[in-house]
This record gives sequence, C-alpha cells and structure tokens, in this order.
Amino acid sequence: MSAEEKFDVIVVGGGPAGLSAGYFLAKKGFEVVVLERGEDIGTKNMFGGRIYSHVFDKYYPGWRDEAPVERWVRRERFTILCKEGSISLQYIPGQDVGEYDSFTAFLSKFLKWMAVVAESEGALVLPGVKVDKILLEDGYASGVLAGGDRLTADYIVVAEGINTLLVEELGLKGRPRPESLGVGVKEVFKLGRDAISRRFGIGDGEGVAEFLIGYPINKYGAGGFVYTMDEYVSIGAVMKIGNVYKSENNVMDLAEDLRSHPYIKSLVEGGTIVEYSAHMVGEGWGSILERPYGDGLLVVGDAAGTLVNTGFTVRGVDYAVESSRLAADVIEESHGAGDRSSAFLSRYKNYLDSSVIGRSLRRFRKVPEVLSLDRLHTTYIDLICDVLSGVYTVGEETPSLKESIDRGRRGRVSIFRMILDLFTLWRSL
Amino acid sequence: MEYLSVEKRLSLVRFNIHSEPHIKVDTSKCIDCDYKPCVKACPAGLFTLDDEGRLHFNYEGCFECGTCRVVCPGEAIEWRYPPGGFGVSLRFG
Repeated sequence: MSAEEKFDVIVVGGGPAGLSAGYFLAKKGFEVVVLERGEDIGTKNMFGGRIYSHVFDKYYPGWRDEAPVERWVRRERFTILCKEGSISLQYIPGQDVGEYDSFTAFLSKFLKWMAVVAESEGALVLPGVKVDKILLEDGYASGVLAGGDRLTADYIVVAEGINTLLVEELGLKGRPRPESLGVGVKEVFKLGRDAISRRFGIGDGEGVAEFLIGYPINKYGAGGFVYTMDEYVSIGAVMKIGNVYKSENNVMDLAEDLRSHPYIKSLVEGGTIVEYSAHMVGEGWGSILERPYGDGLLVVGDAAGTLVNTGFTVRGVDYAVESSRLAADVIEESHGAGDRSSAFLSRYKNYLDSSVIGRSLRRFRKVPEVLSLDRLHTTYIDLICDVLSGVYTVGEETPSLKESIDRGRRGRVSIFRMILDLFTLWRSL
Repeated sequence: MEYLSVEKRLSLVRFNIHSEPHIKVDTSKCIDCDYKPCVKACPAGLFTLDDEGRLHFNYEGCFECGTCRVVCPGEAIEWRYPPGGFGVSLRFG
C-alpha cells in the first residue's frame, strides 16, 4: 500500500457484513477495499455455527455448489437439561423439503469464501490491516488511518462487529450496556464424519441445530447450542453480560460446566477438543442504531445492531448481509445524486426499518426479556423435568400425568403465575 | 471428557502476541471497586486477584471479545485491538 490511496469506498472489517458490502459495492462498479485486522480472513470471527440460506440464494448465484457448507440443517432440536437427565424435542421436516433453509459453517472458512467472491467481483480485500481511526474532513468521513497508512475514500462503511469502538468514537452510540450484550463461549470437538452422522442420526451432509436450556448453565441465565459440522461438533453457551453482576459464576467456567452435563458428555464422548473461543453477542437486547449513518458513512451488521434473536432462531449472518445489501443500494443512490450528506444517507435507516431486519426486531423485541426470566431457567425446568421423570419412572403403579404435574408444581409456582407466564411467553413469540 | 482448566483450553488457541499490551488496566482505579466484575466476566480468566486482593491483568490469551470493557464500572480499562495481524487467530470460529 502506498502512503495514500484513494478508493470509492473503504469497508472497515472483513466479517459477514464487511465482505458482503465489498461484494455488493464491487458488483455495482465501485472501487472498494475491505480492511480486516486479522492476520487472515475469518481469524477474528466467532459464532455458534448456523447461517440462514435465503440471502445467499438471493444474492450469491451458484453459492450452494461453491460455499464451504459444513452440513445442511436437517433436524432442529430443543433440549432441556435436567439436573441429571434431559428432555429433547426434535423437529424433522418431511422428505420433500426442497432446498435447505440453513446450514452449519465455521466463519473461519466461510468468510474466506466470501472474500474470494468479493474479490472476483473486483473488491480488494486486505487482511492484517487494523483501522485505528476514521478521518473526518469538514465533518465528512474522508478516509481511515491504519497502522500509519492513510487511505481516503468518498464513503466509509463501518463493519467492525459487535465491539463497537469506532462507532462509539464517532458518537453514533453511547457506552455499551452490560444489559444489552451477551458473551458467548464455544468449544469445538473433533469426532469424525461417520461418528457424527451415527450419533445424531443424520445422513451424510445433513446436520443438527440444537438449542439448550437448563442445568447447569441456568445459574448463569445462559442458553446453549450444539451444531454438527462435517467432522466436528460445536458446543457453547451465551449469557447476558449483565448476569455477571448477579451470579457467583465465572464466565471462564461456563463451557466447562456445560460440558460436565451427562447429555453433553454423551455427545462429545470419544472426541478431541480442538479449540475454545469467546466473542460478544448482540443478542437482540439492543436494536438498530438510531443513526447508523453519518456524512459519507454507513454502519452495517453487528456494529449497527442488526442481529435478531427470535427465541427459536438467531439471525446474525443473514441479517448482516441484508444490511450491507441495503447500504450498497444507498451508496449507489447517493453517488448518483452526488450527495453524500447524512441527510441523504439517512434513508438507510428507513430501509433497515422497513426491511425484514426491522420487521423482525419489532416483532420479537420482547423475546430477550422473556428468555431471561429467572423462572424460565429454574422453576419451569425443574417442573417439567420432575413431571416427565414422574411419568416415566415406572414402579408397580404409574402416576397419572396430573399427579405428576401437581407434584412437580408443589411449592414452586402457583397455577395463576404459570398462566401469567405462559401468556407473557405467548405474546412475545 | 475430563476437566479442562482454562489454561489448558487456551493452549489450544493460536495467539500471535504483540509486545505492546492492547488492553491497559489502571489498577489504581480498581482499589475502590468492591465487586471487580472483570475477574468473573473474562472468558479467558485473564483478570486475577492476588492474596492482598489487588487486581492483575495479563493480555496474553485475550480473545479480544470486549466483555471486560463493557462490564467495568470504573472505566479503568483502556481497550484497543492489537495491531493488524496480531492477537487471537481462530481456526474454528
């Protein structure tokens, strides 16, 4: 890189949002560079493991044959971890599902593919470059300072991810609150392709996406996940950062505690742990930035708050890509109009609000609050575990379901409270 | 699977450590902080207390997640990313 280079657009960050922004903009004919601080693309990124297909179907022709998909999600599981045992609910769609809605992936690999696709459209993707500062000229974003180099551009797209250092420095966001962010931990185990297919009862190339709730991660107020990869299984949990103040637990023990549960033990039995990692998550407790734009500047993906947690699904990568698609459209319109003022770029916020991202955020805004109800993590877990163990622990006589429910409920929660909670839960979904 | 200490788990992760710490903790601000949430919040366990209850921090082994920055009530943490190409390098993120 020379001391000063001029681009149409500089994208800060080479994650799902940044690389798709590079792709969309290059496709429209812009000279665009994506700057990624990791030594290689995908080395700083971490997520649970699932990506929803729809955005790639729409915007990345031929991707199903090219992208490094680990497994196509064929089974959805919801598992309650009881003190000892567990209860699983599994959904298997009918035979004639057509194309799969989602797939599992490692971002480390998947993003390298996204970078290649962006480059094939003419974007320049530079790993190993950290942006220290966004430069302003008369209030307009004019370039970036990166490790002593100065790069200039007409537009800056900030795709820095959930840890929003630049967005905060630009004054587009206040100090992040522990209540509006999560911290996620993940362990990856190598098990082998055949062992995974056998253990999870799936065919070759087909995968399981599993959501966990209950012991022992309920003391953290955490929810867990299991994703099957081609030869690996990813297991982890996410908790609200604010819960650190409430509990005596240590985040560094979260993965350890989860792994100690007999159900999780049985999943990774015989496997070898290959990596442990952690990342912050915008569990949808926040929402889209009020101003994800400035003069000559747009914010996309996690940095803009586009992740949505619907209670059943977490929409991270797909919504990040969608936000970049909208940002690229706005830059094209702004360039055409010869106006890169924040007044013009503010339409990006309107596009986000009326897009699937905004609609989902509004529809599911109460979900995080409900999911963090203490009763959901303890009382109801105990209740349902006791009821099922009552029904299925068979001696001479079998207790009726009603007897089991009454026994499980006793002293824990009133019928009235239960109905109220059910109502709250129902309204939030 | 046996118990894995956080040190053991961190030994599985590739770190390209820069000589200059990217996170600096002004521990003088931590003396009056009763709760010290950073100690419990760091998924890599990099904040520790000594016998006298003083806070110590080691930036080596940092996932750069930012949780400590969010959780610190005293603005004692000066938080930057390591220079380009340095820091954690995940293979299964």
